[in-house]
Amino acid sequence: MASIDIDATGTNQLLIGNEAIARGALEAGIGFAAAYPGTPSSEIVGSLAPIAKKMGIYAEWSVNEKVAMEAAAGASFAGIRAIACMKQNGINVVSDFLANLVMTGIGRGGLVLVSCDDPSAISSTNEQDTRPIAKWLDIPLVEPGDFQEAKDMTKWLFDLAEKTGTICMLRSVTRIAHARGNVKLGELPKKEQKAYFDQIHDLRNVMPTTFMPIPSPLRHAFLHLKLDRALEEFESSPFNRYVGPDKADLLIITSGSCWLYSQDAVKALKLEDKVGILKLGTLWPLPERLVEKHLNKSQKILFIEHIDPFIERSVMEMAANLPAASARPAFYGKRSGHVNAYGELNPDLVIKAIASIMELTYQPRDIEYGKKAEDSAKSYVPERSLTFCAGCPHRATFWAIKNALKLDGRSGFVTGDIGCYSMALGPAGFFQLRTLHCMGAGTGVASGLGRLGQFGFKQPVLAVVGDSTFYHATIPALINGIYNQSDFILVILDNGATAMTGFQPHPGTGTTAMGESAKVVSMEDLCRSLGARVEVCDPFDLTGTTATLLEMMAEGGGAKVAVMRRECELVRGRKEKTPYKVHVDADECIGEACGCDRLCTRIFLCPGLIWDKTTGKSKIDEVICTGCGVCADICPQGAIIKEAA
Amino acid sequence: MDTKVKDCKELLNEVVEAGLCALCGACAGGCPYLVSYKGRIVLLDNCTQSEGQCYEYCPRTHTDMDAISQRVFGVPYSEDEVGTTKEVLMARSTDARIKERAQYGGTVTALLSLALAEGLLDSAILTKTADDKTPSALVAQSAEEVLQCAGSNYMACSTLETYNRLPKDNNRSLGIVAMPCQVLAISKMKKDPPQNRPTIDNIKLVIGLFCTWALSPDGFHQFLREKLDLAQVTKFDIPPPPANKFDAYTPSGIISFPLDEVRRFTMATCAYCLDMTAEFADISVGSVEGIEGWNTVIVRTEAGARLIEMAKAKGKLETANLPPQNLAHLKEAALLKKKRALNEIVKRSGDKNDLLYVGLSHRLANKLLA
Repeated sequence: MASIDIDATGTNQLLIGNEAIARGALEAGIGFAAAYPGTPSSEIVGSLAPIAKKMGIYAEWSVNEKVAMEAAAGASFAGIRAIACMKQNGINVVSDFLANLVMTGIGRGGLVLVSCDDPSAISSTNEQDTRPIAKWLDIPLVEPGDFQEAKDMTKWLFDLAEKTGTICMLRSVTRIAHARGNVKLGELPKKEQKAYFDQIHDLRNVMPTTFMPIPSPLRHAFLHLKLDRALEEFESSPFNRYVGPDKADLLIITSGSCWLYSQDAVKALKLEDKVGILKLGTLWPLPERLVEKHLNKSQKILFIEHIDPFIERSVMEMAANLPAASARPAFYGKRSGHVNAYGELNPDLVIKAIASIMELTYQPRDIEYGKKAEDSAKSYVPERSLTFCAGCPHRATFWAIKNALKLDGRSGFVTGDIGCYSMALGPAGFFQLRTLHCMGAGTGVASGLGRLGQFGFKQPVLAVVGDSTFYHATIPALINGIYNQSDFILVILDNGATAMTGFQPHPGTGTTAMGESAKVVSMEDLCRSLGARVEVCDPFDLTGTTATLLEMMAEGGGAKVAVMRRECELVRGRKEKTPYKVHVDADECIGEACGCDRLCTRIFLCPGLIWDKTTGKSKIDEVICTGCGVCADICPQGAIIKEAA
Repeated sequence: MDTKVKDCKELLNEVVEAGLCALCGACAGGCPYLVSYKGRIVLLDNCTQSEGQCYEYCPRTHTDMDAISQRVFGVPYSEDEVGTTKEVLMARSTDARIKERAQYGGTVTALLSLALAEGLLDSAILTKTADDKTPSALVAQSAEEVLQCAGSNYMACSTLETYNRLPKDNNRSLGIVAMPCQVLAISKMKKDPPQNRPTIDNIKLVIGLFCTWALSPDGFHQFLREKLDLAQVTKFDIPPPPANKFDAYTPSGIISFPLDEVRRFTMATCAYCLDMTAEFADISVGSVEGIEGWNTVIVRTEAGARLIEMAKAKGKLETANLPPQNLAHLKEAALLKKKRALNEIVKRSGDKNDLLYVGLSHRLANKLLA
């Protein structure tokens, strides 16, 4: 990771988009940064936290996004510039608070919300465009088109937030957040910050801000005035710019990384003198005067943006208001079907859209060559489905769950949640996960299912949740289940880290984002205090874990908690040596014969095990095997041998 | 039922879900997929074997009686009501401790204790009744452990699953006490020895128990739990007719249930079982009608005869002739079971020529169905 705190004004540094945002926040003089980790947003606070002490700021991994936003707002209320960062799902979690925050306004410290969207849901359960919340809740919104802008816009947004007295939002996408580019650094502020919660109403901005007892409709009216002020800034913002001829055959209106794809596409088609690109950096409120000026450039307008037709619809709304005499351009984009309203875009898709509108044929490369190249690349990729790491405790947990549910025999099932263990939808977790929605939903859903006894419902319900997700959003659902005597088992997969997003600490780990030690909030003590029966299992003890789950299911009678405690193998592996040396005794391995039918490489599917087609035996991939030894316990022939390493 | 060996899904389909499973355990424990749990056979994961040993050794899939008899006794399947016999007699243990704990005469306990003590067997697979009165298999290696397994609780137990789980490469000689369905499964294994499982030749002694029917461990155990403080029960007994009751012995006296109430929990498969006397065992043992404290003993093989002789010679076993009317009654009851079962089978298959799993000669089948 680049050092974002380097004091070298004017130099170029290679930064990923998230680091550029963090640097922008530093240059803006933030004092407070809070986030709940979530791909692709995690590296913002991830890069601020390690340098926080040195830079005299505070950074935390909050328990969830709503708390992160609220905590950051608290800092703003006391005059400290603050940033809260999250992935797209976090915006849903935070929306209730935001809907009220826009009514009260922020404090003296600028407050910025960063939302990182994940087109194609590469690391998400949903694909969601968060820009509409800006329109919905009247929040000034910007979207950087490259890494320099990611930094510069972030810095500028704090000024804007303070000038307008309202929270400002920056929307990023995976290819900005995680791609890397040159960023020219600005100055780091040197001034000391003082926090003070000013109880005297701040009338600086003429509009009543934070704490005046004013009826909401009036506040709402003031909010629109704030938005007007932002619009004035947006109309002349250098983050909006046009590249292309004065009169164009086609005008592309775009934002974010789609700006880069649009430039590539126009270049590849050699249409620089025919196609113009209006790149918008300030998206809401829409700088209508600027857009109107450019609409005159062409009779054909194509919108290239990620996920929803956000700019597209805003421009069309605006166009409906154009003077009757003005020429009406044709609009192309997601509504017309020229661009997908789902999935990540890329230069090829933009080329396709342009070529289709302009009736061009374009073949980027020889089809045969393309196929050959693809086959050649694939030949280096091991045949493996999406799976847990070698030695992952979740594989063992789902093995025990699978067997316990089968043995129990009442068609029990698992409701699921967000984390590495979401992969239990597929072969990695033996297809055990049957529901998957938002953070904490598995437990809420289970709480409902567990109350259906009066309708003849007898299926045992297990709700799985990760340790970090437990603290994030599960506790209210658990309390609901306990108090309403719902019959389900909450299975907490406690691997001691927010593993999927990069091992960020959480209240169960004993350390904070800034590396300080903290008192662990014990999940089992918490659950016991709520009145639930709590059992703690080691998932690597497959027999014991299966027996405990079976016994808990048989007991019934209200919500219970089973904690599966085993450290994430990637965390453990950094601290300790391999516990076992594992090998396959080829003489004992019966492979595909009756009596095994290659359980280890057909069902268990740890990537540390390889099926050798030529010998008809399993073997250990010594590079990948982490020596957890669990496969030795499932081998029916005793052919997998584990020896203390 | 055709004679082909099929896969585990067909085993579940044709046997388990069809209500024919005897819970003998022959299909379970030999692979990671099939296990028994609380009176059910459970398939844990999908298996791709088209011809599974699970299907092959099941006593409710096609069973060639002549071929099995040929393998066990060297002769085709006997038409005698109680199968191939060398001798039928009465016996009882001479050991007071055994007699006190035994169901009837303690013959099985006496024979096994002797075989272990003399080194004829290294261990024996038995069924033990736990304190909560659930049955489970035990690999006994001493007379003391054998004694713990004395007595019956009339519930089916998947003992053969424990056998299948034994280390496959050991050469230790093994005895087994089994119900007729289990003896049949072992005999199928003897005829076509299993692969990647314990060596079937290690089984040196099979003691079969007479059986008219067995109770479903899950359902019946729940019934008992609701009616009795099971920890207090020292013994269960179904006294010979005409008593028509099920007795639970407790320190405060015998608690009796009408037999009909208990028979509700009979395994469905027992109605389709022809074998009352465990016809392919080395020695078969049961009660003696009207004579308390003794066992009826059918000696069927050389190995069985040698052990009985040794037990007599060493004073471990007291024997007597079985009264002719008792033998006649036994044969009558055994024949009745065969006839009933075969008629039930035909009722189920709807075809006199389709005897489901029973591979009998047409002649004998027709004779029994007549």
